[in-house]
Amino acid sequence: MSLVCFMFPGQPLACDAALPDDIDFADIAGLVKCRTGLDLKSFGRSSESNYSNQVMLQLLGSAMSLYRLRNMRKTGRQPDVVAEHSMGIYAALAACGSLPEAEVLELTWRIGNCLAGMGKNQRFAFGCVAGLTLGKLLGIADNNRVYLANHNTSRHFLLSGQLEAIESAIAEATSQKAFSTKIFPSIAPLHSPLITELEDQLQLIFSDYSYQKPHCPLMDHLEQKYLAADELAGFMLSELSRPVYWEKTFRALQFSGVESFLEIGMGDSLKKYNRWIEMEPSPGNPT
Amino acid sequence: MSEELTNQVKELIIESLRLDGYSSSDIDTEAPLFGEGLGLDSIDALQLVVGLEKNFGVVVPDAVVGGQVFQSVRTMAEYIAEKRPDY
Repeated sequence: MSLVCFMFPGQPLACDAALPDDIDFADIAGLVKCRTGLDLKSFGRSSESNYSNQVMLQLLGSAMSLYRLRNMRKTGRQPDVVAEHSMGIYAALAACGSLPEAEVLELTWRIGNCLAGMGKNQRFAFGCVAGLTLGKLLGIADNNRVYLANHNTSRHFLLSGQLEAIESAIAEATSQKAFSTKIFPSIAPLHSPLITELEDQLQLIFSDYSYQKPHCPLMDHLEQKYLAADELAGFMLSELSRPVYWEKTFRALQFSGVESFLEIGMGDSLKKYNRWIEMEPSPGNPT
Repeated sequence: MSEELTNQVKELIIESLRLDGYSSSDIDTEAPLFGEGLGLDSIDALQLVVGLEKNFGVVVPDAVVGGQVFQSVRTMAEYIAEKRPDY
C-alpha cells in the first residue's frame, strides 16, 4: 500500500519570502501573539542576525508549518506517517495530535529563548557544506573543533559550533573543493554536544507539557523509530545535542512503504534532499 | 552552439530537478537560473553538476567554475560545447 508522509522541515536559516495574508495565517499569528507576545507579521525580510531575530525565525518556521498543515487538511489530505527534521518536531506534534497548535508555538518560543541564553556571551554559527563526502567533512569537523549537525544526504551537510571555528572549517571545506559553502549565524550550537550545558533548563521546559499519543506514526530522525507519547520529551531533548540523520530517515520511510512525500513548511529543502537520495543506490541495494 | 544542444540542456534541467509541468519552451535560454528566473539554489546546482557529468561527460570542478557555468541555459550549453566539441 502506498503511504503518504508529511515531512516537517527544521528552522529556516533565513526568511526571504512574503508571509501569507489570509485568515488562517492571521489566526496563527494571533496564537503567537497570545502565547509569546510577539508580532509575527512584523517580522519581515530583515537581514539582521541578532538573537531575537533568530528566535523569531524558529517561531516563524513552526508557524508556517502549522499554516501549511491547515491548508493540507482543508484539501482533505491527511498523513499516513509524519517525519520531522530538527526543530520541525514541534509542528509535527500538531500533525500527530500530540500537542495543540498554541502549545506548539509556545514550546518553540520557550526553547528558542532558552537556547538564546548560550549566545549572550559567545557567538555561534552553522556552516552549510555541499559536495564533499562524509569522510572529508568529518575530518574538517575534527580539525576545527566543530560538529556535524545535519547529515542530509551523502553530499549535503550542516556543521555547528562557535563562529570562529565554523569560519575556519568553512575555509578548509572551500580549500578542499566543496561545491558550495555558506555560514549562517545561530543563537546556539544546535545539534552539537555543546547544548548539553542547557540540559536541565531544556528538560524543565519539555516536561511542562502533556503529550498525547500520536494518532499517526511519527518517525524520529535519530534512530528512525516511531515515537510513543512518553518518548517525546526525551527525544526532543536528545535531538538538540545530536545530529539530524535525514538520509537514513528518508530511506527508512521508503522502506516502510511511503511513496508520496509532502513538505509541510517553509521552502523545499527536504524535497530536494530526497531527490538527491533517490538518485543514489541504497546502501542495502547497490543496484 | 546549436539549438539542439540548448534544448538538451533544458531537458537536463527539467529531468534532474524534477520540474513537473515544465517543458523546454518554459525555460528562457538567457534567464538567470538562480535567484530570479528558475530560482535554483545550491542543492539544485550540485544536482546539475551530476547531471552534466552523467549526460554529457562534462565535469564542473569547483564552485568558481560552477558560478560561471550555471548563470543561464546559454552558459551551460557554451560550457558543454567548449569541453565537448562533438556536441
